[in-house]
Amino acid sequence: MKKIHIIGIIIIAVSIGAIIASLSSSSTYADFTEAGANQGSEFHVVGKLDKNKETVYEPKLDANLFTFYMVDNGGVEKKVVLYKSKPADFERSEQIVIIGKCKGDEFHANEILMKCPSKYNDGKPSETKKL
Amino acid sequence: MNIQYIGERLFPGQLGNVFVILAFVSVLFSSLSYLLAQNKASRSDPEARAWLNLARIGFRIHSLSVLGIIGTLFYMLYGHLFEYEYVWHHSNSTMRMRYILSCFWEGQEGSFLLWTFWHAVIGNILIRSSKDWEASVMTTVAGVQVFLCSMLLGVYVMDYKIGSNPFTVLLRQHPDFANIPLFQNPNYLDKLDGRGLNPLLQNYWMTIHPPTLFLGFALTLVPFAYGIAGLWRKKADEWQKPALPWTFVGIAVLGTGILMGGAWAYEALSFGGFWAWDPVENSSLVPWLTLVGAGHVMLIHKHKGQSLLLTFFLSLITFILVLYSTFLTRSGILGESSVHAFTDLGMSGQLLLYLFFFMGLAIVMLVVNRKQFPSSLEEESLWSREFWIFMGSLVLLISSFHIMFNTSMPVWDKIFAKTYSTPNAAFYNSWQVPFAILLTFLIATGQYMKYKHSDIKVVLQKILIPFAVSILLAAGIALLIKMSEVIYIALLWSALFCVCANLNYWLMILSGKFKSAGASIAHIGFGMVILGALISTSKKEFISHSNADKDIASLKLTNGKNNILLQVGDTLQMGDYFVTYKGKFKKGPNVYFNVDYYTRQPDGKLKLDFELRPLVQINAQMGNVAEPDTRHFFHKDIYTHITYADYETIDKQKQDQNDYGNPKNSTLAVGDTVSSSNSLIVLEGFNTTVDKKKYGLNDSVLAVEAHFKLMTMDKKNYSANPVFVVIHNQVQSIAAEVPELGIKLNFWKINPETGKIDISVAEKSVNTPDFIVMEAISFPWINVLWTGCIVMVIGTVLAIWERLKRSVLAS
Repeated sequence: MKKIHIIGIIIIAVSIGAIIASLSSSSTYADFTEAGANQGSEFHVVGKLDKNKETVYEPKLDANLFTFYMVDNGGVEKKVVLYKSKPADFERSEQIVIIGKCKGDEFHANEILMKCPSKYNDGKPSETKKL
Repeated sequence: MNIQYIGERLFPGQLGNVFVILAFVSVLFSSLSYLLAQNKASRSDPEARAWLNLARIGFRIHSLSVLGIIGTLFYMLYGHLFEYEYVWHHSNSTMRMRYILSCFWEGQEGSFLLWTFWHAVIGNILIRSSKDWEASVMTTVAGVQVFLCSMLLGVYVMDYKIGSNPFTVLLRQHPDFANIPLFQNPNYLDKLDGRGLNPLLQNYWMTIHPPTLFLGFALTLVPFAYGIAGLWRKKADEWQKPALPWTFVGIAVLGTGILMGGAWAYEALSFGGFWAWDPVENSSLVPWLTLVGAGHVMLIHKHKGQSLLLTFFLSLITFILVLYSTFLTRSGILGESSVHAFTDLGMSGQLLLYLFFFMGLAIVMLVVNRKQFPSSLEEESLWSREFWIFMGSLVLLISSFHIMFNTSMPVWDKIFAKTYSTPNAAFYNSWQVPFAILLTFLIATGQYMKYKHSDIKVVLQKILIPFAVSILLAAGIALLIKMSEVIYIALLWSALFCVCANLNYWLMILSGKFKSAGASIAHIGFGMVILGALISTSKKEFISHSNADKDIASLKLTNGKNNILLQVGDTLQMGDYFVTYKGKFKKGPNVYFNVDYYTRQPDGKLKLDFELRPLVQINAQMGNVAEPDTRHFFHKDIYTHITYADYETIDKQKQDQNDYGNPKNSTLAVGDTVSSSNSLIVLEGFNTTVDKKKYGLNDSVLAVEAHFKLMTMDKKNYSANPVFVVIHNQVQSIAAEVPELGIKLNFWKINPETGKIDISVAEKSVNTPDFIVMEAISFPWINVLWTGCIVMVIGTVLAIWERLKRSVLAS
């Protein structure tokens, strides 16, 4: 067997290993129901902020604690505890992705991604005073 | 209803549109003419000459048209022609003109234009320099331009929109803005301002990063076009020579572009680092890795005639990966997995066609011409330079495969209907660190090998000193910075070995001469990049995650997390520093926060070390954007970022300390408590028999008084009795103030079902001093990374220079 064949086999093995490792370690998108049923496993949950409910950020008590209510894409609502400061423009978010685990009835998130329509394509032409 | 609009300047749009069509048609013509010229048997064939001349004229017209498009778009942006959707969307009249370039390429259309522009520039250089390769290479270059120009066409064919044209889309005709009352006004332009530029892009990095990156992307087309031409002309062994310098220019430029993106993320975004394995970053890194591989196997091929198939594979795949990246970042498929992908313009189909066309072309050309590849080669020696470079290229290939596979998770999800999410940075690091160890080790030793075969004893002898030095250095540094993870120590050593071995090779074997030292210098730079990335990332420390003395006043809870609250005048210990928040000030659209860093002197006194001014750019329309500030030292950076601040008071700089701030609402039952900054407020009960005369009320109105007890921390009690009044079904409330505490209570609603009441508590601003929530991170030795980048680019440029000089001398 030539060296090139051995190298080829090693490369294929590493590539397959990389794929398997990626698929098995990658957390998946889920809804609150699934995350709630698998307490302690990490999930990405996509949903929307419930704007009728209170969001609580009291930096003077804890600068790394922010709570809000989110409705997932299946319509299930949960209280979310985010261990970070309140993200800028949080109320304007159109869609939220939270990454974390369910603990009891709450979802404890350590990471949040927001999609703000305003950043890219919100805003309609309206009258403005020119300077 | 036809409205005669006043003041619309439609001519620039028509002109721009003419340029777009001209650019598309002329390059289509040019590409076909090149194809016909190449298909003639000989270059001296008069018909071939005629086609070649026509093709050149076509490409020149195309180039001029592209310049025309760019000039027209700049004119429209500069003149604030908000009647055009693109101008309205990406700029406004108050924007500073130095950001006009960012406006230009903020949108998809502008960035496609930038890419098209660089291809046109490269095409013109190729026309002059590629000699008898011209027709075959330019067919592909012009063909790519046909696809790129089609992205700008904006015409409908059978209800399918091809491209998006910044000149033909008038704001008032844009489907999103139908029935907007403003457009009923014939003079709407007088009242219209643009939406403005995304504040994230109002940054000097954003004026230089995109053109560099797109030049890098454009340069990957050259080895691709040469590769295709090599197969086409049955000269599988000859195209590498002219493609080689282009490939290395591409490596230098694309590398610089990616690092500028990293610098932008580090200086201006809140990533908290220079690399976040963000899908958009990954999709520019991966083609760079394969391009580096392509350049190196071309070197093997040049010296030994080996690795022929790999020169094709890596050159072709690099450009295809660029197209794939374009699809990923522009089709909207990345969705929420990336912070800075473009929004979908409905061109996914067209982007896929672009990708599959050139991918198909590459595959078909390879399969049809497979006979050009000799099947058996003599086996190369284990101790030869070509074997080590070959291995290095393969490691690059696997590494880029791993990154691309994971970045493509949203694509797999779509194809296989799964729900995998893109992995986090830790996962990427756990795979890429071993690849980096292998790679740096191969780079360290590769140069010491000779082509064909080298005496292993001689190699070991020469490499012994750098090997020993790197082990000593690695051990010393690991102890010094307390690095304990074995895999990181291994990378620390291999990166140091890479730097030491190449430095030794340059200084001892090449006697420190710059001639033919390009490769060694570039490799030193690469080793430094890995070294700096390793140390600054693995030893990155949130110093705002404070372990300050408990006795420092107003130490706030941090829960072991990374944000910390600082009130005006507070001093908290962060790492070796004592940090004070001094207040904020407004300048232009930005609010700057004065954060001072003190160090403790030997005599125990605090001395001001440096001041940082992280800022928040106020943008009511697009949202506020915080920009960190970083103090650069030789051996570390201190990064400071505002994660939360009281934006309400930003515009009221000299707010009267005795004004009440915004009230906070709560719902209470009897016995419930709410807290204010200085007291606990308890609802004790109600009084329905209010002395109405006291409040100047009629006897007929309904009035309820709520009794509150306010208890301060030092056990003083106060009372307050706000009143809820209903007069002719109108609700009124009479506030109760407690002047001693600076608190005002309002009682404004009764919930009959629950028996609870709604109140609001307002406090004087003197009660609630200004504060910020911030993050401070120390990045040790990050300068090694930036220096490494510069060294790598210098080395690459030096190598290209030497090579060009030699080829000029040879001819």
